Amino acid sequence: MARGTGEPDDVTATAWRWRAAASLLVGLGVVLGTVVGHDRWWPLAPMAQYAFGVDPDGEIRSTYVEGDTTAGTTERVVFGMDGIGLGRAELEGQLDRVIADPSLLQAIAVAHSRRMPDQPGYTELRMKQRVSTLVDGDEASRDDVLLAAWVVPDPEDPQVLDR
Amino acid sequence: MRAFLAPALPPARLAVLRVCVYLFAIVHTQRIANDPLAHADVPASLYTPTLLRDWAQLPAAGQTYMQVLQVVLVASALVAATGRFPRLAGWVCFLAVLDWQTNNFAYGKVDHDSFALIAALAVLPTVGRASWRRWRPEDGDERVGWALRAVQMAVVASYFLAALAKFRYGGPGWANGAIFSWAFSRRGSELALELAAVPYFLKIGQWVLLLAELSSPAMLWLRGRWIWLAVGFWVSFHLVTYVVIGIHFMALAVCLVAFLPVERAGELVAAVRAPRAARAAQPADEAGHASATR
Repeated sequence: MARGTGEPDDVTATAWRWRAAASLLVGLGVVLGTVVGHDRWWPLAPMAQYAFGVDPDGEIRSTYVEGDTTAGTTERVVFGMDGIGLGRAELEGQLDRVIADPSLLQAIAVAHSRRMPDQPGYTELRMKQRVSTLVDGDEASRDDVLLAAWVVPDPEDPQVLDR
Repeated sequence: MRAFLAPALPPARLAVLRVCVYLFAIVHTQRIANDPLAHADVPASLYTPTLLRDWAQLPAAGQTYMQVLQVVLVASALVAATGRFPRLAGWVCFLAVLDWQTNNFAYGKVDHDSFALIAALAVLPTVGRASWRRWRPEDGDERVGWALRAVQMAVVASYFLAALAKFRYGGPGWANGAIFSWAFSRRGSELALELAAVPYFLKIGQWVLLLAELSSPAMLWLRGRWIWLAVGFWVSFHLVTYVVIGIHFMALAVCLVAFLPVERAGELVAAVRAPRAARAAQPADEAGHASATR
């Protein structure tokens, strides 16, 4: 330490060097993260919140999951803390995986039975999207499309599938 | 470069940031980014970890693990907020929050609001002791300055790189696009729908945000009332987006404290602790006198 040299709070040369190196490395890393990286690099992931373009004459897609229950009703699966524990945006982040392998929807039936054991279980789950078509930035029409469907084996007590 | 990256700044300023960051770390993990507790019920088939979690070979966490982590995180944050055991409590808290956040982001969605918070948690333990009593300019300490500068740069990176990301993903025409329409349509309140109906409101908002993000590096040089104005602008922006579309960047907003010359708070704390300060004043004065005459 430089204590006693008249500048008692200065960091030593070594301490300064690693601090400078850390600043430069993390700075470089986070810039690269945004320029060429992707989400799996977090905390050096691209700062991409609301960064994607939305065509004023394009469409807006909102994903939802519909479930038939053992009570004979059809309901929308509730996402997040008050529901299955998985967020809507999280499912949307895995959309391609689920479309390629609809059996992943079994995880939703399992999470639902774990978190809401008193509610009737799901017999079938359908992942859908509401597609709103924009004209000049305003919503002009809506349509619902089916992306994946899964019949739940043993809906009273759904189990994690062997994978 | 040393004067830029590690200016000598008073420890009391860091003491203010320390309290804000550690107390907020608790609010953030327990109230805002509290998905990991719910994730414990989600089967591992939907677990898609980030690289950091892959390298650390951390599996999907179950209920017991998350509850223990929660206790460790909250306890270490509380201790660190008091300024006691700044290194030990600080590093434990940093690792606990890192574990918590990577779990949060391991199920298909990564948020971009917590880079500055993680950076703050990483640099605070490097300072060691930072006393409220040392608020005067002559108390300046380079370790304090480096930590505060690092948090400031992490905040600026969050804003500035968000603008670059808009060019990368949205293209040069991002600000003329319909991204705010999209956000308002997906999670808008009554107020949002009314605002969206005002002609050009959303498009002007997009331009203002992009220009503010691009000019954010200037915050590293602003002083006096200008830095208060800049911080005030961003706080208002975060407040409005929260009220209107329910999206907030609290983790980033809290770190804005690192820009403010709030060390005078140390004088207040010293006054409140007057009886203790009076006992401690004797040796502190002697030390100050000794270094002044050297």
